[in-house]
Amino acid sequence: MFKQFQKIFQPKLSEVYKDADFEKFGVRLKHSISSVFGRSLAVRELDSGSDNATEIELVNLTTPYYDIERFGVTFVASPRHADVLVITGAVTHNMEIAVRKTYEAMPNPKLVIAVGDDACDGGIWKNTYAVNSGAERVIPVDIKIPGNPPTPREIMLGLLALMEYIKKKKNP
Amino acid sequence: MNEFTIEIVKYLKLSEASVRQGLNHELYVNLAGYEFRNTMELLSKEFSLIAVFCAQNFNGHDGFTLFYAFEQKGRYEIVVFQRPLNSLQATSVADLFPSASWYEREISDGFGIEFTDAFDKRRLFLHEVYPPDFHPLLKAFRNHPIETRNDIMPEQEYRFNDFTGEGVYQIPVGPVHAGIIEPGHFRFSVIGETIFNLEIRMFYKHRGVEKLAEGKTPLECVPVAESISGDETAANATAFCDAVEKISGIDVPPRAWHLRTVFLELERIYSHLGDMAGMITDVAYPVGASNFYILREEILRQNSAITGSRFLKNIIAIGGLKHDVALGALEGLLKYLKGFPARLKDALDLAYRSPWVIDRLETTGVIEKRLIDPLHITGPAARASGIDTDTRIDHPYGIYSHLPLQKHVLEKGDVMCRFAVKAAEILDSVQIVNDLIEGIKQGKVFESTRVRDGYALGVMESPRGQIMHWVYIKNGLIDRYKVRTASYCNWRAIEHAVQGNIVPDFPLINKSLNLSYAGTDL
Repeated sequence: MFKQFQKIFQPKLSEVYKDADFEKFGVRLKHSISSVFGRSLAVRELDSGSDNATEIELVNLTTPYYDIERFGVTFVASPRHADVLVITGAVTHNMEIAVRKTYEAMPNPKLVIAVGDDACDGGIWKNTYAVNSGAERVIPVDIKIPGNPPTPREIMLGLLALMEYIKKKKNP
Repeated sequence: MNEFTIEIVKYLKLSEASVRQGLNHELYVNLAGYEFRNTMELLSKEFSLIAVFCAQNFNGHDGFTLFYAFEQKGRYEIVVFQRPLNSLQATSVADLFPSASWYEREISDGFGIEFTDAFDKRRLFLHEVYPPDFHPLLKAFRNHPIETRNDIMPEQEYRFNDFTGEGVYQIPVGPVHAGIIEPGHFRFSVIGETIFNLEIRMFYKHRGVEKLAEGKTPLECVPVAESISGDETAANATAFCDAVEKISGIDVPPRAWHLRTVFLELERIYSHLGDMAGMITDVAYPVGASNFYILREEILRQNSAITGSRFLKNIIAIGGLKHDVALGALEGLLKYLKGFPARLKDALDLAYRSPWVIDRLETTGVIEKRLIDPLHITGPAARASGIDTDTRIDHPYGIYSHLPLQKHVLEKGDVMCRFAVKAAEILDSVQIVNDLIEGIKQGKVFESTRVRDGYALGVMESPRGQIMHWVYIKNGLIDRYKVRTASYCNWRAIEHAVQGNIVPDFPLINKSLNLSYAGTDL
């Protein structure tokens, strides 16, 4: 029990495992989310046929080393709560209907980020019977983050790029 | 003819001429139609079915050949029964080996072969969107984008098994889930809050791994093997390369095998850490889970430091490794691992001392021992249910026969046991990596030889359990590549483990096995 109390009064893990470079971009991300969306950015993850390494990196964003929630990014459980859809994987035929339905369930502005080589252009699966090309074939994609898989830092930079892209679109 | 061959010929009453030695410690046995059923019945008593697969135009036989791979407790060799077909029909063995049902449905989808007396003939990896007479693994089909169906009538929809009765209702979940996880459909039949039955429908992520490999050179195929499942990159790449190396008679340099083993064990460490973090998260204890997530992130960073990839991609090659690992990086890893066991024990202490964790983990999601063999449940899931199986020890490969390995076996088969088995295995793997790096010798890490034609099995232990790769090379190109991951077997375990549990415990039970959807759907 004593250990539990000790834990509560310890500094936050994200403070202990701070990564200066990640912090710098995180703070920038927080500012741009604030100016575009008010307070926070709700992200819904959708796997449409990745090799699951991308999912691991997305989960890592929420763990103590990164703790991206500090910067206003939350992963939500339903597309109905989402500002952004993060799609990983070239869309397989078996997932096509589910991907369309998920996209349709989102409120406007229905932003989409393709994460990973497969989602960007189909990767090694391109032009096969089970996969045609990237996520773009099925739903509109706003920004692509390539990588096999991209690192948590690269994914965060992608979110930052998306915010900058919306800002530019708003005030050209 | 070795002792085992003589023994098996006697046991199954076969002719000696029908048996031949494979290239990777496997034995191929030709079975004629009339002896098939008898042999299978005999096998069902003592042998466990690793996989069933099919190949077209194999070794000069015009038509289809079915392969049944078996292992027997205490036997190093794997026995592969080979049955040439003269028509598009075959007899089912799913009544003898329940795990055969998925394999047979898979072969029906891929090749259009009908298993006449099978109890389940529904399509498996081809969902409704695929046209009815489409069979992608036929040689006549060249891999290219196809026209899918978008007007699916209700009667053409997949039929789940019916469970009716007073108070029974259905909860459909998925394919898209609430968390950051892969897609699959779970159809619960529930009475009150208790799960009466679960039917799992997978293959939403079917990417066509096996067909994609066909026509590629083995070299081009390594990235395909690596992408079977992102968190089992090293295991799948090594199993594929091992099969190709055995076919071609390539001797992989000792340093390369040393380093491969380091990668394989690092993969086990970070994979198990993720599973354990997931279990603690799913009992709503994020502080407890954090410790495991921190350790996993650090291992991923060590992976990156030694190989350039957090998921150990793009390093394992046919003939060894693509490049050597810098001494500094290995020393860094060694230094890092010194403090690791104590920190893992702290994390475990925090979990074990929390009554709410123990309360949720104990007696939850029991996988009964009697199911392990018929379903060929493998890896930590089998070991937590009292079966001492581990491919690294039972069918050693690479340098594993020289390592002091032990099997961690627990009896109860609940989530708690799986948690504890994984914890013990992490500590073992840390010790193995430590010893390997301390004892590593200089030398080359790559042996280049021309790839030869032929076929061989690669059977190994991934973090989730036994994986099987079968490679057939013809004219220098992959002609057939069959993959069976541990997840493919263990999904059936979840269907049984959840029965009698409450729905809110399903995520926890699922996490305790943490199976790869990508590795199952291929």
